Amino acid sequence: MSILSIRDLKVNYHTQDGTVQAVDGVDLDLDESQRLGLIGESGCGKTTLLKAIVQVLPRNGHIVSGEIKFKGMDLLKLPPAEMRQLRWREIATIPQASMDSLNPVQRVGSQLMKLLRVRGGYTKKAARKRAVDLFDMVGLDTERLMHYPHEFSGGMKQRAVIAMALALEPSLLIADEPVTALDVIVQHQILEVLRRLERELNLTVMLITHDISVVAQVCDSVSVMYAGRIVEEAAAEPFFASPAHPYSLGLQQAFPNLASPRDVLVSIEGYPPDLREPPAGCRFAERCPFVQETCHDIDPQLEVVGDGRMAACLRSNEMDSLRHQAEDPSLWQNVEVTRGFALPAPKSAGDGRGEPLGRPSNVSHQVAADQPVADPYKDKPEPGDGGESDDILLKMNDVSKRFKIGGGLAGLLRGDKEQTVYAVNNISFTLRRGESLGLAGESGCGKSTTGKLLVKLIDASDGQIVFDGADLSRVDDKELLGFRSRVQLMFQNPFEALNPRFTLYRSLTEPLIIHGWKDENERLQRVVETLDRVNLRPAEVFLDKYPHQLSGGQLQRVVLARALVLHPDFLVADEPVSMLDVSVRAGILNTTRRLARELGLATVYISHDLSLLQYTCDRIAIMYLGEIVEIGPSNEVINKPQHPYTKALIAAVPVPDPTIENPPLRIREGVPRPTEQFIGCPFAQRCPEVMEACLDFRPPAIADDREHQAQCHLYGEHRNSPKLQREADIAR
Amino acid sequence: MTIQQEASARGEPAGVATMQFRQGSAIRQLWETNLEVFQRDKMALFGLCIFAVFAVVAIFAPQIAPNDPLTPLKNNEGDWVKDAMPYWLAEPGEDEAEGYTNTFLLGTTNIGRDIYSQLIHGSRSALLVGFSAAAAVAVIGTVVGLLAGYYGGWVDAILMRAADVAFGIPFIPFIIVVSAFLDPSIWNVVVAMAVLLWRDTGRVIRSQVLVIKEQAFVSAARVSGASNLRIIFVYIAPSILPLSFLYGSFAIAWAILTEASVSFLGFSDPETISWGFMLQDAFNSLALSREAFYWIVPPGLCIMLTVMAGFFIGRGYEEVLFPRLRRM
Repeated sequence: MSILSIRDLKVNYHTQDGTVQAVDGVDLDLDESQRLGLIGESGCGKTTLLKAIVQVLPRNGHIVSGEIKFKGMDLLKLPPAEMRQLRWREIATIPQASMDSLNPVQRVGSQLMKLLRVRGGYTKKAARKRAVDLFDMVGLDTERLMHYPHEFSGGMKQRAVIAMALALEPSLLIADEPVTALDVIVQHQILEVLRRLERELNLTVMLITHDISVVAQVCDSVSVMYAGRIVEEAAAEPFFASPAHPYSLGLQQAFPNLASPRDVLVSIEGYPPDLREPPAGCRFAERCPFVQETCHDIDPQLEVVGDGRMAACLRSNEMDSLRHQAEDPSLWQNVEVTRGFALPAPKSAGDGRGEPLGRPSNVSHQVAADQPVADPYKDKPEPGDGGESDDILLKMNDVSKRFKIGGGLAGLLRGDKEQTVYAVNNISFTLRRGESLGLAGESGCGKSTTGKLLVKLIDASDGQIVFDGADLSRVDDKELLGFRSRVQLMFQNPFEALNPRFTLYRSLTEPLIIHGWKDENERLQRVVETLDRVNLRPAEVFLDKYPHQLSGGQLQRVVLARALVLHPDFLVADEPVSMLDVSVRAGILNTTRRLARELGLATVYISHDLSLLQYTCDRIAIMYLGEIVEIGPSNEVINKPQHPYTKALIAAVPVPDPTIENPPLRIREGVPRPTEQFIGCPFAQRCPEVMEACLDFRPPAIADDREHQAQCHLYGEHRNSPKLQREADIAR
Repeated sequence: MTIQQEASARGEPAGVATMQFRQGSAIRQLWETNLEVFQRDKMALFGLCIFAVFAVVAIFAPQIAPNDPLTPLKNNEGDWVKDAMPYWLAEPGEDEAEGYTNTFLLGTTNIGRDIYSQLIHGSRSALLVGFSAAAAVAVIGTVVGLLAGYYGGWVDAILMRAADVAFGIPFIPFIIVVSAFLDPSIWNVVVAMAVLLWRDTGRVIRSQVLVIKEQAFVSAARVSGASNLRIIFVYIAPSILPLSFLYGSFAIAWAILTEASVSFLGFSDPETISWGFMLQDAFNSLALSREAFYWIVPPGLCIMLTVMAGFFIGRGYEEVLFPRLRRM
């Protein structure tokens, strides 16, 4: 029986610049105990749809027409008071960033009990009992009822929010991005909870997300939204096996997959149409690799294309052959759209192998050079002066970084003791020219700090960082400037990485000005050349744009261009695509990877996403609590992980395939605070394979980082130490 | 609305990129922000108009004012024309009987000075005090805020403890003390404000700098090798200048109000006409009991208008700087 049925729903937002048709004619049916995944990139109307269902649209949002029926009741005609009764009791929502929706000044348990008593009519005693049951159900320690939200970790808060959503036994649970922004291990555990509850409580779930692998793990049917419309509807298994809409096809191939890695990920270039004036024809036409003449004129409707599958595509009958064509990644890359600029797409956009942008700046010890900045052209190496390919560019020797917190006058007044955060602990590795290394780990493992150390945004507390023969702690100002011209950083958030007050030309030319390029025409030439390199074409169009005029993907390309404009030989990319839509992620990665190869650029990628690192990096280092616990060639680390932590991280990555269920993890969530120094192995508290020796001795440091090695007793002299039963034996 | 949609909406036509784009300097940006303030907020525009009118009046005061503001006017017999009513209130023929021609728009004071001329000249000191104090407050506050916020550590500690001290000193009594030490002058107010009132601007700007300096584009500049001064003045300062303008425009209003208060309390230079001085003069000569509203209301109105103008402009900046406040 259909529990929720939406017919021809249209929602508009009135803005200063016109009316945005955010949801434009959506039909949706949700049967009892169905688990529907709603996928789409940002701005496609997913969240608006959710808000329309529970009628919490912002003030400028209006439901223009359509019908939302919930258990036969027309929600749009329901008086507000009755609607209020329905929310939470019948339709529970887990809003975006819901972890922050807990009241910070009330105990989590009392918030839950208050909800039960006020909305559920429970007595005090019954509410307490129910709260305990709920906490049990989502896997939270019931003692936690008396704790405040700040004492909860992110994953625990998310569990509490799920418990609250389910408290009144709703018939429908709508979750908006429930695991986004959680660490991969926590994400895995939350998904496990959701999966278990779905089974136990026979829940009806609507899950809104941009991440198709989450849908694969939790949902049994899928709807794909694009530009305010649903473009495909299918059961999960056929959907993942053979998507029936070009957009779904692209999304699927844009996702890196640890289980079956692709050689080249595709990127759906361009961006969704302006919903103030939606195009007359197919909305995806502009980005579609299979576009035909008719696509621009005829608006395809959602039609049945197979057994219980619907797709809105004019060419859905040829889908089998299209799917075959789509296997070729170059097909997608050719649709580099420069929308609104009305210029033809460049020919060899994607894997273009033009002449190199320049040589790797040089090998002649520019850091210590006499005139590093005077004339950049002089520093250009002679052709053929490439140096040996395997010499060491960068060496980290037992580098540590400590921060002091809680000290100072304020700490003194509060009575806080000054604490030391051991952000990075004695890490050592080497990096060769042209090599790429990935740093992975949960948040707080010190990977970003390492990135900052590498580009000398902060200085190491201990140890030595040697870049091209020069010790970074001993460079003078002039040498530092030389270093700055050779090492660049790419940022996580492209919306913040560019000065909003500068035109792109200004942003890109700044590094050149700083490094003494006097001639404006030379600067302009270099900027244009670099923009062209990162596939922002024609470059001239972008020069006088401001950052807010570009999409996230384009901005990240500009950030990349700024990093490359000085022709550096070392690039650190800190979560380069985590803020971007899935559809454009691959494009950025492909461009970065190609340019790194062309320029002989050594790269360090920092990411929590192992599948991404496997895709881009030669080697991967896994970090835990400021230490590198495993390092080795990418494929070996992913396929033959040694350290239990690496194994857990890999097992936790959701697979975009509903037929494969992620194995249960045997590791507890929650990284210990990095303020303690451990006698034994720092991972022992969470390790599923903990041995006696792990509590008493530090595991031997990685001896040779050029090989695949782990810092773990399982592979050292203590490998035969007796195993411990977890929990019981680890007295804290 | 997503960035993409916004961007596509703006999507300017292709091919316009010639060499013009290179003029896009920070100064032009700032100018555009200022322009935006007055285009979007009609109140701010109104405030600006008020200032413009007073500025014109102040510049051409000697030409506009019919009489000298300080010299008592005399009739045919050489006596002061005391307490003359405005010509539009006075009984006809009264002036001829007293031996003068009543052309006084706002009448005369108890020692025969022309009130209208005083009002015109008063705008000079008001604007002089207002703008110089505002400039001093904005400049000192901005520099302090930038240095404290950017460098942090002991620079921050020293500057912010100084701000704490400034916060601890009561404002009007401080000016009175300053006036006691220095010769009476309208500049006392400017000096006192410069010494004390940078504290608010400095604090606010510091907090903004703390936010901006953590943004990735500042790190990017540092990674590119930009020096500290370059980062402060090329990257951070343009972003906080509108905030300085905001505090500056509030400071104009404050300064004018303060000058009026101080003059009214009698600590001003008797040789300089200001609106506050006029009020004090009127108060002392019992103009209130004589119902000489034409003496009291105009300077009061002028003070109110200029102060309002300052706040209107400040409000306009606030709307552009903190658009979220609008929806509250």
